[in-house]
Amino acid sequence: MAQTENPGREAILGRIREALTKPAAHHVAKTTDDIFFPMGDPIEEFQKQCAINNTEFLSTTSVDASAAAIAEIISGLPAGPIFLQDAPILRRLSPTLLNGHKVQWSTEGIPAEESQATITLAETLVAATGSVFVSSACGGRGAAVVAPIHIVLAFTDQLVPDLETAFARLREQGTPEQNSMIVLITGSSRTADIEKILVMGAHGPRRFVVALSPRSE
Amino acid sequence: MTTAAQDFLRSAAEKSANLTHRHILRKGIDTYNTAVNRGLSRFMNWEAARQKCHEIKFEAINHLDRYLLEFEQHVNERGGHIFWAQNAEDARKYITDLAKRHNVRTIVKSKSMVTEEIHLAAALEAQEIKVFETDLGEFIVQLRGEPPYHIVTPAMHLTRDDIAALFKEKLGDVDTNDPQELVAAARRALRKAFFSAEMGITGANFLIADSGMIAITTNEGNADLGVSLPKIHVAVVGIEKVVPRLQDLALFWPVLATSGTGQPITCYNTLIGGPRGPKEFAGPEEFHVVLLDNGRTELLADPEQRDALHCIRCGACLNACPVYRTVGGHTYGTTYSGPIGSVLTPHLRGIHEFNHLSYASSLCGACTDVCPVKIDLHHHLLHNRRNAVNAHERPGSEGSEFKMFRWVMQSPARLATFGAIGRLAMRMIYGLGLAGTALDPTRKWTKMHAPPRIPKKSFRAQWKSSLAEKK
Repeated sequence: MAQTENPGREAILGRIREALTKPAAHHVAKTTDDIFFPMGDPIEEFQKQCAINNTEFLSTTSVDASAAAIAEIISGLPAGPIFLQDAPILRRLSPTLLNGHKVQWSTEGIPAEESQATITLAETLVAATGSVFVSSACGGRGAAVVAPIHIVLAFTDQLVPDLETAFARLREQGTPEQNSMIVLITGSSRTADIEKILVMGAHGPRRFVVALSPRSE
Repeated sequence: MTTAAQDFLRSAAEKSANLTHRHILRKGIDTYNTAVNRGLSRFMNWEAARQKCHEIKFEAINHLDRYLLEFEQHVNERGGHIFWAQNAEDARKYITDLAKRHNVRTIVKSKSMVTEEIHLAAALEAQEIKVFETDLGEFIVQLRGEPPYHIVTPAMHLTRDDIAALFKEKLGDVDTNDPQELVAAARRALRKAFFSAEMGITGANFLIADSGMIAITTNEGNADLGVSLPKIHVAVVGIEKVVPRLQDLALFWPVLATSGTGQPITCYNTLIGGPRGPKEFAGPEEFHVVLLDNGRTELLADPEQRDALHCIRCGACLNACPVYRTVGGHTYGTTYSGPIGSVLTPHLRGIHEFNHLSYASSLCGACTDVCPVKIDLHHHLLHNRRNAVNAHERPGSEGSEFKMFRWVMQSPARLATFGAIGRLAMRMIYGLGLAGTALDPTRKWTKMHAPPRIPKKSFRAQWKSSLAEKK
């Protein structure tokens, strides 16, 4: 497609520059005070926050144990495809994970509407908020929201104390440059738009599961 | 034709006399307050958080050209398109042309106040394109043909029975007032739209200059579906939404959630930097960001009120405002309601038509106290009042009244004389039962309130005699 025509561009930039020739009426003092509470053990904190935000947290001792725990969830699901991120580790674990279900790999495109679950990896985990960063690389767009259950296979070395550290980690990994999408997920989809009553599973998944183990390979 | 000010007064009188409406509103805001108080306790130092947010937005707004250009460059590098819209018409035309060019029949939209501001959905519907609001609250008010009632909770004014009746009539496949079932019905209706739409429209809570990404916050995950399934994604964003660094979100995401709903952080915080990348297997082919001015540069040119552009649209000032809590969101007749709306609207839509909003305030300052980016809201309401007077927008009688008041107050003798006349006159008028009638100069008050008891003696006289007693 041709370069977007922008007749308004110079006009708006001109008005901004003209406006900013007059300095703001007040000046701002800088604060260096700490804003958030100091963090204890990250795994304990992550677990505590998951309990608050309704993430199902499975702490296991090995990747294979995580796979077995995920397989148990999958076995309880109705027939329908399971969407898997096309990553070597998930390829290897897929016979266990799928438990007889049909598979759709992320390299085949967006999860089918009738997907029963999506299983992806994560970019990094945030203890302070009990959240998970995923990106386009983690199954692509829609992987986190199309199916009724989203399951993340994560490793303890991905857990960082807080958001500040998580962003630094994403930067180091080059995540923002390499992905057109990054999502910070905290719990499963919800709404309180009717009389402020909390209802789970609005448009996205009703269940959000994180299986966390040491990276045992 | 009535003026916006007349409509405001009429609606305010109706809404404040509607006890059911006030009850619903009070219940909603009480629930919010409980959640927010819990949320604030999760910060070690909330005041430092507010101060830091203020600093970051101050930096961004006072170097707006630089950060917007940085943002634009990164988006272009990734193959996204930036359109600079000077006004609502520019933005509407760009988006409707784009939709027509791609034969778009169905659009899924996530919640965005700026698309309300430019009346985008109506413009698209006029081209026979079906627009689905996908945020549940927005979906509800769209079905009712109403504008959103509140920046954050658009259907705050409705009970579950209202919504049940609406869904029964419009969706047909649900007949219950159980919120769970109602949400499921909306989900069913909108799933079809998500999977058939050719275009997804979103707003953005932040534009990130150093990485060329937009940040969208939802609890429902509706924006995530809207930027994943359709082949075109259009984000419409006010130019003031920019922040310099990706790391700034480490503070803004928790702060926005806390002030918006009391949550520690919202469920889905989504960053989008472009269309589907070369190594990606899903996502839109095109990504457009419409940067909207629509009066914002005029506010920027006012150094005194420039900080009103720091607003992150959390809705905290609405919930804190005693006027909003009494008259509700629709009474304002504006896209942005409550204190921030009363500050912004005269700048965005003209002081002539909208200066009355700055008088719909007791100047109690509750809005300023709760603002997470420390906008000096109640002083800006005063600034707007002064600007309205200077622009000769207030009735001439108001000026004469204040001149008279000042003249009386500047001399103890005059105050005593006019005070005595006033007390005598008001005692007669109230005593004769004329309160609230055309003969009553205080009728604006006494029409709605019992007349106050007027003492026989002035305050000064009472003070003197009580001093005498003590001696």
